[in-house]
Amino acid sequence: MEVKSNLLIQMDILGLIQANILTPVVLFFLLGLVAARIKSDLKMPDAISEFLPIYLLAAIGLHGGLEMRNTGFDSMLIPMLTAIGLSLVFTLNHYQILRRLGKFNIFDSYALASTYGAVGAVTFSVGLSFLKNQDVASEGYLTAVLAVLEPVSFILAIFLTNLAVSKQIKSKKKSLSSDLGNNEKILGMVDQSKTNLSGVLRESITGKAIIVLLGSIIIGYAIGDKGFESISIVFDGLFTGAIAIFLLEMGIIAGQRLDDIKKVGVFLVIFSILIPTFNGIIGVFVATALGLSLGGAVMFGLLMASASFIAAPAVLRHAIPQAKPSLYITSALGVTFPYNIIILLPIMFSVSSIVHNVDGSINLFNYFGIDL
Amino acid sequence: MKLFDVKLLTVTCEILAQKAILEILSKHGITGYTSYEVEGNGSKGIRGHGFKNEKNIKIEIVSTEEKLKDVAEEIARYLFSDFAIILYFSDVQVIRSEKFI
Repeated sequence: MEVKSNLLIQMDILGLIQANILTPVVLFFLLGLVAARIKSDLKMPDAISEFLPIYLLAAIGLHGGLEMRNTGFDSMLIPMLTAIGLSLVFTLNHYQILRRLGKFNIFDSYALASTYGAVGAVTFSVGLSFLKNQDVASEGYLTAVLAVLEPVSFILAIFLTNLAVSKQIKSKKKSLSSDLGNNEKILGMVDQSKTNLSGVLRESITGKAIIVLLGSIIIGYAIGDKGFESISIVFDGLFTGAIAIFLLEMGIIAGQRLDDIKKVGVFLVIFSILIPTFNGIIGVFVATALGLSLGGAVMFGLLMASASFIAAPAVLRHAIPQAKPSLYITSALGVTFPYNIIILLPIMFSVSSIVHNVDGSINLFNYFGIDL
Repeated sequence: MKLFDVKLLTVTCEILAQKAILEILSKHGITGYTSYEVEGNGSKGIRGHGFKNEKNIKIEIVSTEEKLKDVAEEIARYLFSDFAIILYFSDVQVIRSEKFI
């Protein structure tokens, strides 16, 4: 392990990115992308593209549950609360950037802010398979952090959107106070655009992603390594292969959306690359400071960097229907996702290796790694 | 056989608008409808492939003209601006008119 890490850090980041591109997961993604670009009729059967996310969530849930049983989860609370805090701060930060610098309207700004504040389970799966490839372990409780983080930034964004709509109603009330007849009808229309927060909360907690993820964590914790043996061929042996197939599908969908990237504008494309980089690297630093391992810090950073593109449209289309889905789906899936899995993941791995001081040459963050 | 004249309202929309439409139906006391997944092309581009959430759906509702006009008005007012939706009316005849009141 020590020797392997030493070898790894000797490769420069560029070399690691190059090596990462030549993994089956990334190559299948690129294949899907190419297939969509040349208008091939390649298409995943519907049932499989609905099944694979459930399988991936179950596999990462079981993996997390098993790890938690082996290592305990006493140390889980602080990283989890930190992750929630960071996610909220990042969401607010995204909103300010989008609204002030990007000149997006309130609805698009909040929808995009929460898409980038939220986490991506697919990205998380790719991260796990990347670490598996490097033979580096990560803390199992990060899967539980993934489950808890899922609704956080949506709830904040919807709450703030509601607040903004309430303000609009108030100002409309003022301007309409002379004209009593039409008052009620117009107010009713504005009122309709407010979303029931508790409804959204209930929906996202009882949604299939959270149920499968939390359920599998509990099952993994309950069965332990011995119980897992009987199903490990499906949930461990097939894991990377299943991701490769799923990424073929993601590549196709992303490829079909590449034309839309011109429509989302240069600002959003730059935002979709800089924001994950910034959030991810902060995540790696914070996680290292909290005492997470090399792999754990990479996964923590990935949680902060990833954008949601499966859960986000389902939640936001109901909660903030005024926002344009083409903006947040295209930027999250078409730009951020490929960037995260191809380029940012190796970068974060290198940063994490440096701050964990595995090569012993850079002492800048030495004190972080004292008890590792 | 005696046939009764009623109206058929057909709504084609993105799948994520379905819930809102069903809420409007139940608000107007309409409990019966048929829905199915569809694909197609329109002003928002080719729809129907990609994620499940981006599929289109077609909802058919048979009822009296009066009720369906209220429903259509509400859909137009609240959903037209934010969702991909088209809707149209057609004349149909039914045998058991009491089922469609």
